[in-house]
Amino acid sequence: MSFLRSFADGLRALSRKTQAEKEMDEELRGYLDAAVKEKMRSGMSEEQARRAARIEMGSMEAVKEEIRTAGWESAVETVWQDLRYGVRILRKDPGFTLVAVLTLALGIGVNTTIFSVVSSMLLRKPPVDDPDRLVMLLSKAPAATEWGADRRPVSAPDFLDWRAQATAYSGIAAASSVEDTVDFTLSGGTEPERVPGNRISANYFQVLGVAPVLGRAFLPGEEEVGHDHVMVLREDLWKRHFGADPHVLGCAVKLNGENYTVVGIMPDSFRRMWMFPAQLWIPLAFTPAQLGPPARRSRALSVFARLKPGATESAARAELITIATRVAAANSETEKGWSANLMTVQKYAIQESSASAALMFLTAAVGMVLLIACANLANLLLARNSNRQREFAIRTALGAGRFRLARQLLSECLMLSLLGGGLGLLLAVWGLRVLRPAFNWNEYSVLVAEMLSIDRPVLLFTLGVSVAAALVFGLAPAFQISRRDPNVGLKESSRSTTAGREHHRMQNLLVTGQLALSLILLVGAGLFVDSFVEETRLNRGLNSANLLTASVSLSGTAYQDPGRQSTFFQSVLREIESAPQVRSAGVTSDLPYTFPGSANVTFEGRPAAKPDERPSAGYFAVSPGYFAVLQIPLLEGREFTPSDNARSSPVAIVNEAFAQKFFPNQNPLGRHINIENGNESSNSQRWSEIVGVVGNVNEFLGQVAPRPHVFEPFLQRPNGSVNLVVRVTTEPGAFSGSLRRAVWRVDKEQPVTSLRTMDRVVQDAGQGDNVMAELMGGFAGIALLMAAVGIYGLISYLVGRRTHEVGVRMALGARRGEILLLVLRNSMSRVCLGAGIGFVLSLALPRLVSASFEGFYHVHSGWILAVTLLAVILVALASCYVPARRATRVDPMTALRYE
Amino acid sequence: MGGQSSELVQGTLDMLILKTLALEPMHGYGIALRIEQISRGVFRVNPGSLFPAFKRLERAGWIKPEWRPTDNNRRAKYYALTERGRKQLKAETAQWGKQITAIARILEA
Repeated sequence: MSFLRSFADGLRALSRKTQAEKEMDEELRGYLDAAVKEKMRSGMSEEQARRAARIEMGSMEAVKEEIRTAGWESAVETVWQDLRYGVRILRKDPGFTLVAVLTLALGIGVNTTIFSVVSSMLLRKPPVDDPDRLVMLLSKAPAATEWGADRRPVSAPDFLDWRAQATAYSGIAAASSVEDTVDFTLSGGTEPERVPGNRISANYFQVLGVAPVLGRAFLPGEEEVGHDHVMVLREDLWKRHFGADPHVLGCAVKLNGENYTVVGIMPDSFRRMWMFPAQLWIPLAFTPAQLGPPARRSRALSVFARLKPGATESAARAELITIATRVAAANSETEKGWSANLMTVQKYAIQESSASAALMFLTAAVGMVLLIACANLANLLLARNSNRQREFAIRTALGAGRFRLARQLLSECLMLSLLGGGLGLLLAVWGLRVLRPAFNWNEYSVLVAEMLSIDRPVLLFTLGVSVAAALVFGLAPAFQISRRDPNVGLKESSRSTTAGREHHRMQNLLVTGQLALSLILLVGAGLFVDSFVEETRLNRGLNSANLLTASVSLSGTAYQDPGRQSTFFQSVLREIESAPQVRSAGVTSDLPYTFPGSANVTFEGRPAAKPDERPSAGYFAVSPGYFAVLQIPLLEGREFTPSDNARSSPVAIVNEAFAQKFFPNQNPLGRHINIENGNESSNSQRWSEIVGVVGNVNEFLGQVAPRPHVFEPFLQRPNGSVNLVVRVTTEPGAFSGSLRRAVWRVDKEQPVTSLRTMDRVVQDAGQGDNVMAELMGGFAGIALLMAAVGIYGLISYLVGRRTHEVGVRMALGARRGEILLLVLRNSMSRVCLGAGIGFVLSLALPRLVSASFEGFYHVHSGWILAVTLLAVILVALASCYVPARRATRVDPMTALRYE
Repeated sequence: MGGQSSELVQGTLDMLILKTLALEPMHGYGIALRIEQISRGVFRVNPGSLFPAFKRLERAGWIKPEWRPTDNNRRAKYYALTERGRKQLKAETAQWGKQITAIARILEA
């Protein structure tokens, strides 16, 4: 009731403002008159009485202001007043406004840009129904220390056991896991195409809660062997390959040479399930061999489950672990030490992306940039406030409360900040445009680039950051103003000899902090840039210049025979080498600087290791002359030759890391090993003789410890899915067309994909290290620039304030050099303090960074620290020197007369 | 300013105004004067707190303003206690009495 009345009164007061003001005047005048009359009655003269009454009342304006602020409507009004006044003030000083808004725009812009990346990488929910209730059921490996030990794929028998026993879910589905994602060759349409696909259980889409845009998902019966030749396409594949023809539904399409009926089309949004990059799906049908006890060892399924309404994540996890323990107890041979784990799909995706560390560093960096920007702003405002002291003093004398003044100042800050935020948003739009093409090192990064946008969360973030920034840089100056004694402000001449100590301490503190922050940022950036330069400069173990690579995967029944595969690639190599610009060409199952398949190795004459501790190595099958093509040095023994073929005795080549790990201080040549690479049945013991040792080549850029690798002759272990490497005499990219045609001259049904130069392969293996180095470097540059501007501004201001003092000193005989030293010494002391603090804090950085990134080089961290410290001090010195020199130019006469 | 004048106890100004108005409607200076006189000069209320208090009480619906002509052909704003104001005064007085007794007990203990 009374709230309503107050509301109505307030509205009335707002609408009849002049009327209310008039009545207030009248009432107060009446009060004064009554007081005078009363005092006259007690014997004062009229003049005395009037004077006494006035003194008792105090400032009439102050009383009025008190009355006005007693109602809520005054708040609305003063905000409006503040805004209008703020606009006037800001327009009066366009130079200040411009510098402030630009500084803020830069600070907020970089934050918005990086937040957009964070948002698209970490905050996007997977494109499924109610994503928070969709969890992944995972195996947990016995060795908990291993990377990703708590999120391993699941074996088929485990999946079936879990599905039969768990009660916390409304549905459980499986898909062949990422490592097992099959590349299918899809015929029909315009060109043969190789696309990634998943085998899925029939209820997969139902559990995910995604409906087809056309047709249907799989039926339960289609999980059975014999009924499983049906397929679902992703919308973009359907559009690309079949021209979005709806009649493709119900048609038989050749997949790996077999007929599959298309039954449904799934929405494009599935692309955002980047951790499961399937473009087509076929049913997951288990053969009896896949369900036997030994199959528990092959953990290759991604298992999705939807929590029942009411079921909690922790309860479901507890239940799952109980089931897994029971299963493990019943199958102790294969499941010893294994357990289970559960996490939401989103959390799984974030861990899988392993970008969190990089994003954390970037976020910290842009946060520091914004803090430095805020420090600059605060310093600008403090300097400006002291020029506005008289204004504030007068306003206080006229009845403005301290709170009111502080609020006025804060609303000016808010306006600056919002302007800066708006401009920062534009900057971010530009920043994203620059950033997008740089995200190109793999499919996932390209997808992230597509998702980068200024959407609602990003807009909210920018607004929030702008407001927060206004509070950060506005509070100190506002607080300072509200504490100042107006009497001093009125009395103090606008150019006093030395200004109050109080706010100089604040300004010094800000500059010190700024310097410390920019030093930390520079050291961080230095580390990233150095690591990137180092890893690109590092001996790659091969000569990547003039090399073109391409991927070919043979499909169709015609190539199921290994002999046929071998002949095919031999013909292709002959075709390629017949081109005049080709120097040599080879074939490998996996390219260098990618992650190869793994093989278990046993050694002749040594006891067999336990199943879970068997030595393993990266596995490659390569053609004769492959090492010569890549110019990987042959350290000992010989290369494979064409006579190492299916009819000759098996041979192998190992890399240096392999030799050092498994044959320390021994000659590996002539030793025999058994290589088991998963493709073959494990029973066949086949001893291969080691005939050569080659140099190490990394699997990713910046790898510190090379992994053991083992190579077999392609002619002895042919493979349908390989990479071609071609060394040409010209620019390698220009050869792409000829390479494609060479393959098609042998068989025009075979798709040729991933045409990349070797340089590009190596660059992609950096997984965005170049982007990281560039971004960090850019942010550190901005930070240093801002800090320099900040110091320059502060010293100029201080020098300006001391013009009079300098004049006096010079009049008394001080020399220019002495004045210069005086100013420099004064400012350099805080510069050194700031740099020193920053230096000490950054001592921890090299270790922090290398702990967060695998294969991070910090060979030069000592140098970087030293050089950065020097650079910061020099830049600061330069920014102090210019205004300090100006001080020495002061003409003593002018300075003294200036008062 | 008399040496013995003292600050009002926090939050009691509203009650004092209501009490003063309980007898008859008065204008601003009259209220201030009455409070000063009855308290024998201990409480002096300055206009800076008096008028905001009027506005507060008016918004709460406890007093009602009314313009009345004065002797010298002007008009003055008089405040009168409303029915709700009377109730409020009663409640506040009772509350105040309780607090005073409690405080006295503590001080005497």
